[in-house]
Amino acid sequence: MRDQVAVIGVGCTKFGDRFERGYEELICDAAFEAYADAGIEPSQIQAAYLGTYLPGAGGGKAAVSLADALRLYDRPITRVENYCATGTDAFRNGCMAVAAGLYDVVLVVGAEKLKDRGGRGLPRLGHPLLAKGNTAPGLFALAANRYMHTFGLGRETLAKVAVKNHKNGAKNERAHLRMEVTEEQVLKAPIIAWPFGLFDCCPTTDGAAAAIVCRADLAKRFKKPPIMLKGAGLAVATGRPYFDPTFDYLGFRSTQAAARQAYAMAGITPRDVDLAEVHDCFTWTEISNIEDLGFCEKGHGGGLVEEGRTALEGDIPINPSGGLKSFGHPIGASGVRMITECVMQLRGEAGARQIRDAEIGLAHNVGGPGSVACVVVLGRS
Amino acid sequence: MVGLVRIGAYFPRRRLERALIGKAWGVRPPAGSRTVAAIDQDVVTMAVDAVLDCLGDDDPAAVDALYFASTTSPWGEKQAASLVATAADLPRTVAVADFAGSVRAGLGALRAALDGVAAGSLRRAIVVAADARLAAPESELEGLLGDGAAAVTLGREDVVAELVASASVSEEFTYLWRMAGERYVEASEPRFGATYGFGRDVAEALGLALRKAELPPGRVAALALAAPDARAAAEVAKRAGFDPGRQLVPSLLADAGVLGAPEPLVLLARALETAEPGDFLAVGAWGEGADVMIFRATDRLPAARPRPLADRLARGLPLPSYERYLRARGVLPGEPIIDTVTSIVEWKELRQDIRLYGSRCDECGLVQYPQTRVCLGCRARDRLLEHKLAKRGVVFTFTIDNLSPALEHPMPMAVIDLEGGGRVYLQMTDSAEGEVKIGTPVELTFRRLHEAEGHPNYFWKARPA
Repeated sequence: MRDQVAVIGVGCTKFGDRFERGYEELICDAAFEAYADAGIEPSQIQAAYLGTYLPGAGGGKAAVSLADALRLYDRPITRVENYCATGTDAFRNGCMAVAAGLYDVVLVVGAEKLKDRGGRGLPRLGHPLLAKGNTAPGLFALAANRYMHTFGLGRETLAKVAVKNHKNGAKNERAHLRMEVTEEQVLKAPIIAWPFGLFDCCPTTDGAAAAIVCRADLAKRFKKPPIMLKGAGLAVATGRPYFDPTFDYLGFRSTQAAARQAYAMAGITPRDVDLAEVHDCFTWTEISNIEDLGFCEKGHGGGLVEEGRTALEGDIPINPSGGLKSFGHPIGASGVRMITECVMQLRGEAGARQIRDAEIGLAHNVGGPGSVACVVVLGRS
Repeated sequence: MVGLVRIGAYFPRRRLERALIGKAWGVRPPAGSRTVAAIDQDVVTMAVDAVLDCLGDDDPAAVDALYFASTTSPWGEKQAASLVATAADLPRTVAVADFAGSVRAGLGALRAALDGVAAGSLRRAIVVAADARLAAPESELEGLLGDGAAAVTLGREDVVAELVASASVSEEFTYLWRMAGERYVEASEPRFGATYGFGRDVAEALGLALRKAELPPGRVAALALAAPDARAAAEVAKRAGFDPGRQLVPSLLADAGVLGAPEPLVLLARALETAEPGDFLAVGAWGEGADVMIFRATDRLPAARPRPLADRLARGLPLPSYERYLRARGVLPGEPIIDTVTSIVEWKELRQDIRLYGSRCDECGLVQYPQTRVCLGCRARDRLLEHKLAKRGVVFTFTIDNLSPALEHPMPMAVIDLEGGGRVYLQMTDSAEGEVKIGTPVELTFRRLHEAEGHPNYFWKARPA
C-alpha cells in the first residue's frame, strides 16, 4: 500500500465540551473543512468510513449517521469500531479501499460525542461479573503500577508527560485543555486510579475529524500538496489481558506488532520518524508506547521524557498537538485527528508547534488496554 | 458414633465501636465493638466463607447435605442453601434446605442433620448458620446485635464431639420478631422474656436433655447458651442447676455481638477450643421454645481443635463513623449499581463464575480463566480440561480506583496469580489502606457485587490473606 494512497484534505473541529453541537453537526464541521482543504465537491466522494466507538442518542449507530450528516447517499459507507483504535482503523480501511482500486476518492470521519452520556462519559460494557468494576484509568493503572514497580519509575516522570503535552496543547487553538500545568499541580491533583491523578488522565471530550484520501496518481490534481500513506498496521491481542497469566504488563504486544507491520510496509525504521502522535490516554501510556513503537528500548521511555527528547524541540517530538492529554480524546475521532496533525506537520502548516523539516509522521492508537493497536505512517513525499 | 467432625466460624472484618452508636444517639450501649457485615456481604456470602473454612482441604464431593439457617436470607422465596452449596462446589446430588424464621434455626438445622446422619441417610452433612440482623437506629437492640456465621461438618467418622442427647421444647411466645417485608427486628419486654420464654423454655429443655443423658448439671464441662443477652444466659444456667461462672461459655458481646442463628454454633466452637476428651458439652438456643444438645468430646479433639475465635476476630477494620455502618447495612442508600447478570447467563456460567472453574490445557498445561474453546497458550482447540481454581494467590499488579462505580470508595482492584496456576482480575475487599500491593498474598471470598432489577449478583472478590 506504500505510496499508493495520498491524503489530500483534512478537517478537525474544536475539541472539548461541545454541549452546543450535535453529533451530526460535528461530522459536518469536520467533513466540510476537509472538502475545502482538498478543494473538492461532496459529490466526488465515492465511499466513506465512519469511526465511532460508542453510538448514542446523538448518533453513531451504523453508517447512516455519516450519510445523514452529510446527505451522502447511494454509495458505500461503513462504520468501524475497534476500541480506541477506531479512528486510525477507519482511516486504514479507507486507504485499503483506495489501494484495492475500488474507489478514487474516499472520506474518513471519526466522531464521538462522549459528553452526551453524562458525567462519567464511558459506560461500562462487557461481562457484568468478570472484570466488574474496571474503568479505563483503572485498567491502564494495572499496567502502570507493574511497570513502575519493575523499572523503578516514579509519578514525577509521569507528571513530566502531562507538563509537556499541556504545553504543546496550549499552542493549539483546537485543543480541549489549553492551559499549561506544572509538575507540582500534576502530582497534587486528586487521585483517579492510583498512580494516576486527574492530570495523568486525558479528558472526556466531544469532537470530530475528517481526512480525504485518494489514488496517489490522482493526488496532484487537488489543492494541497499530497501527503503519502507510507505504511499501516493493525494488531489485535486478547480483550482480557488481565486474565492472561503470561502477560508481563510492561508494554503492549498489539502496538509492537502493528508498528512492525507499518514500518515494514513503509520500509523505514523508528529512527526515520520525525514526529509521532501516540496514544497518551494516560501519562504512563505515552512512556510505554514510545518503547513499543521502537523509539527506545523497553524501560527507557521515562529517560526520553526526563531528557526532554520528546518535547517539540527534542529529537523525537511526541504529541506535538498536545496529545489526548491536552487535545482531548473523543474516542473514534482521536485517530483521525492524529492523522490531521501529521498532515499539517508534514505540510508545514502547524504554526507555533511546527516541527522543522518533518518528513515522516506517525499516528498510533492503542485500546483495551493493549487489546488492539493501529499504527499509520505518513510521509511528505 | 455420630457427631461433629469440624467446626468453623466466620466474622466480617468490619467493626463498629459501640461508642459511636452512643455518640450518635446520646445513649449508653454496651462496651466493645460489634462485627458488621460489609456492604458486599450478606448471610449467603458469610455462609460461604464459613463453609469453605469448615471444609478446609476436605473433598467437597463427599458432602451429601447442606442445611442453611438464617433469619435474614436475602430471599423471601428462593433457596439460599443451593447458592451456598454451589459456591462451595458441593455436588449436584447434595440435599439442601433452608431453616429460617427464628434464631433457633441454627440448632434446628443441626438437630435435623444429626438425625439424618444417625438414621444413616446422610454420611457427611454440613450445617451453616449466618445472620446479619438489623435493629432500628437508636433502638436498644442496635447496640447488641452483631453479624457472623458458623459452619459444622457432621458425620460418623473423624468425630471430635459425639452426640449424646437432644431435647426440644416448643412454645408460642412472641419475644423477637420481624414482620415479612420489614427491615428491623423488634423485641418485647426483656424481663418477661427472661422469666418466661427464654428463661423457662431453655431450663426445661436442658433438664430434659440431661435426663436423657443421665447426667447431673455439674458433670457438664461447658454450657454454650445462645441468649438474648449475657444476664439472661447466666440466669437460666443457674435456674437449670449450673454454675454460670464455671460452666457458661462466655458470650461474644464485647467483640462481636449477639449473632442470631449462628450463635450457639459459635459458642460451641469456643467450648471446643479448650475441652478435654470425655468432657460433656451442652449447647442450647431459644426462639419460641428451645433446643438443647449434649455432646461428649472424643480423643480426636486435641489433634483437631477449631481455630480459636480470638484469631478469627483479630485484624478487625474499624468503621470510621456510625454513618459508614448505616451505609454498610443499607440503611443509608449508596450509589446504585445497575449492572445485572440475567438469571440465564448466571445459570449458563455457574461452573465458571460461581464454582470458579477455569481450564487447563491438555497440550501445553497452561491454566487459564475464563473458560474458552481455544487455548491461550498453544491455540489447541477443545483440548482444555476443567480446572478448579485455587482460592489463594498473590497480587501481580493492582490499582486503587476512585472512579469506578463501586459500593465503597476507593476500590482496589487486583490482578492475582493463583496457586496452582491461572490469573484472575478481581475487586479487592476488606483491605486496610496500604494493604494492597504487588506481592500481597490474598484469598478469594464470595461477595455480593451489585443488585438491580431485584436480582442480586454474587461473584468472587479477593481480600488480604
